[in-house]
Amino acid sequence: MDLEQAAGFVLEEGKRYGIDSFDLIATDSEDIGIEVFKGRIVSTETSRSRGVGIRVLNNSRPGYSYSERFSKEALSRMIRDAMDQTEITDPLDMELPGPKPLAEVDLKHYNSELEKLDFSWMRELGQALDHASWESDKRVENVPHVGVGKSSTQSLIANSNGVFVKKESNVAYCGTGLVVAEGDIKKMGSYYRSGRDISKFDPSYIAKEAANRGTELLGAKPLSSGVYTILLGNRISPQIFGMFSSPYFADAVQKGSSRLVGKLGSEVASPILSLYCEAHTPDYPGSRLVDAEGIPTSARTKVLENGVLKSYLYNLESAKKDNVSPTGHGVRSYSGRAGTSFSNMIVPLGNKTREELLASDSHCILVTKLEGGAGCSAVSGEISIGIQGIYYKNGKPEHAVDRITMNTNYFDLLHKIQGISNEYSDSYSSIKIPDILISEIHIAG
Amino acid sequence: MNQSNIETLIDAGKKRKADFVEIYEEESRNSSIALRDQKIEQSLAATDYGIGIRLVYGTDVLYAYTSNDDQQHLLSLIHLLADSRGEVTDGSGVFTLPGDISKYSFSKNIHDPRKVPPFRRLELLQTADSVARKVSSKIIQVGVSASDIVTNVLIANSEGLWVEDLRVRSRFFLSVTAENKGERFVASESPGALKGFEFFEGLPVEDLARKAGERALFMLDAGYIEGKKMPVVMGNGFGGVIFHEACGHPLETEAIRKKSSPFVGKLGEQIAGSCLTAYDDGTLEEQYGSLKVDDEGMPTQKTLLIENGILKAYLADKIGSMETGSPRTASGRRESYQYAPVSRMRNTYIEAGNDSLEEMFASVDFGLYAKRMGGGSVNPATGEFNFAVEEGYVIRNGKISEPVRGATLIGKGHEILPKISMVGKDLELAAGTCGASSGSIPVTVGQPSLKVDEILVGGR
Repeated sequence: MDLEQAAGFVLEEGKRYGIDSFDLIATDSEDIGIEVFKGRIVSTETSRSRGVGIRVLNNSRPGYSYSERFSKEALSRMIRDAMDQTEITDPLDMELPGPKPLAEVDLKHYNSELEKLDFSWMRELGQALDHASWESDKRVENVPHVGVGKSSTQSLIANSNGVFVKKESNVAYCGTGLVVAEGDIKKMGSYYRSGRDISKFDPSYIAKEAANRGTELLGAKPLSSGVYTILLGNRISPQIFGMFSSPYFADAVQKGSSRLVGKLGSEVASPILSLYCEAHTPDYPGSRLVDAEGIPTSARTKVLENGVLKSYLYNLESAKKDNVSPTGHGVRSYSGRAGTSFSNMIVPLGNKTREELLASDSHCILVTKLEGGAGCSAVSGEISIGIQGIYYKNGKPEHAVDRITMNTNYFDLLHKIQGISNEYSDSYSSIKIPDILISEIHIAG
Repeated sequence: MNQSNIETLIDAGKKRKADFVEIYEEESRNSSIALRDQKIEQSLAATDYGIGIRLVYGTDVLYAYTSNDDQQHLLSLIHLLADSRGEVTDGSGVFTLPGDISKYSFSKNIHDPRKVPPFRRLELLQTADSVARKVSSKIIQVGVSASDIVTNVLIANSEGLWVEDLRVRSRFFLSVTAENKGERFVASESPGALKGFEFFEGLPVEDLARKAGERALFMLDAGYIEGKKMPVVMGNGFGGVIFHEACGHPLETEAIRKKSSPFVGKLGEQIAGSCLTAYDDGTLEEQYGSLKVDDEGMPTQKTLLIENGILKAYLADKIGSMETGSPRTASGRRESYQYAPVSRMRNTYIEAGNDSLEEMFASVDFGLYAKRMGGGSVNPATGEFNFAVEEGYVIRNGKISEPVRGATLIGKGHEILPKISMVGKDLELAAGTCGASSGSIPVTVGQPSLKVDEILVGGR
């Protein structure tokens, strides 16, 4: 059975079982990729993975199951498994949607030219990238990570009310991770490109960028502990904002896992900060016309505007609980339960350049690398994390810094935002946040 | 798959001139039930199934996986891999497995979770929720889940190996959120074992829930430590995550073979204080990271990594062993058929020493007692690590003083090892999940209480 046949079978079988209401997610993806080390293709991988996951609502009680086998026997068993679970779950007050018209936007998630890319293209690009990485700087000591690959995915959302939406996407990627050394000091620099425009896959540019990211941190030293102004570089700000996306989800607010409870309409951030979810931007990876529960998405959902909390993000369940319309932010993989997610998380660009922001305080740390995220909690807002970057004095770079930590709280940090730059990182990412200038951050060194 | 199908696949790989062909088939039955907001919000039972095919030429690895067991499809994957190298078909030979099947299982007397109706787990979840909420009215949320997985693995290869293994694992997860005037703190407990439903039957659920509730409440009012370099006493049990990240990963041949570790070429050298001895042991019965055979079909073993501060061994899988010359240690592991195996840790711990916790505190004028660690991570190439401290206390004049939250430890593994100067008697193991290039796998970490003479503590 192919994906569509499997989904059709589950829809028919579900009705035959007399299930009140159910929906399904199915995906079928093919990936191929290679890894290169010292000029050799040390690893080649190809995969075909697929699965279908069902959520049944039997007398309003939810039950989940999934199957990676697409035989009639396995899919029937999956439905029975999901039904069995409804014997113990608590009722959910929610209704599945019927089919609705979707926005007529070409999200540009599929490029038929990528389907022609084969192992020989990967081999050639991978070896060129490996060579360029070794040549990119005389301080390159090792190039442990060079990879090239592509993936193609078909996905399908359907439900017992007649929703049936199919989507096709593909993407290619390549990148390098290299180690640069000076004396006993080693730093790692990585740069990956992904997307559907392979004319941007320039080995020498990618290698140079990776080398720069490593060499700019050589000679780093700690700073003395104190309170500093920091600039979260536009490669780093998406990581920080990405870690703290769940406080904006209605589900987290309703269940006590967000400090934004009761804050709708209140100023929760600096007036210069706005935060949007944009779902229809072409060629952004998180763009989607319909969410994982069959709800059409909006081009823009205003979450924060000028520092004021305007909306939480809703899926079917959390919307029903707050008696509002779902905002199209339901998310689910075939093997997981329904949750909530941003489509693309966007902070609009500011007017100042990075250099202008770095010069706005006599002492400033440009953060270019985070070390782990285990000390960050979306529930408490705690941020306690190792950082690396460049120390600026009167707008001029003084020296690289490492072996320091920053310690603050995300919800305090939002109020301390002093500036937003006019540039996003060029990564293919669903989180687009410019450089963010923040005052009064505790640094330990 | 039956023997004939597997032989045909191995034969196809051999005919395409692969030096080594491996077929890995896996079927998992997993179930989980989760309670949050005093409701059973999820109950799931499902089946994962797939096949991984590995062709090795020299030490070059070609890997394919699929959840489609159609024989023609599997053969097409083999040819796709071989085509990627431009290998032409060599028409000779028909491969035959010797018919010598090894069947393994740690779990001889398991209470098979597949035969336990879902409602049996309900009581556990509701008890945990009820006990945690009774700790204080400031407990505003409890999340608790119970999950188990029964995995049947079949590994066959062109060296004649045919191994079947049954693996049954269970895990309990509890998180408790306390709130006071908008401030929140989350404490969690997450024991796990290589056991079936008997794991849940013997679990001290009330004790775990009470402890997590009390910790969330206690830490809610904690202040912050002043960030700087200082001595740190690390608690036992999950404190072992620091050794796992900072030293364990860089000892895996996956890092060594790419010369991407500070421990390359250090075998036989003193890399830590003489008080430190460490093992990675896959044979411990019932431990979460244990395996009868690794994911390349080799019976697991107890591997001495560091003895009295001297580096004794790396953790090697088949390819890592071939490339580095280190003996295989049955450390080839993968999350599932969706990953080729690479060298990974199993149950990694520092052996008990001779010092008492009180002696460690007494040796510190001002420092941190990191009683409970959160998670952490490391960059093996540079050795730079970071860890979060979930429960910490200031040590002042040799005594435990006020609690502190939000502390992070950062440093480099190879620089911290020689600074471990005291090792306690209270070895304890704890379950964890480790993420790396072959996916997220169950592991155990452990250590007795330790004193590190100096480490950077992030604070305010």
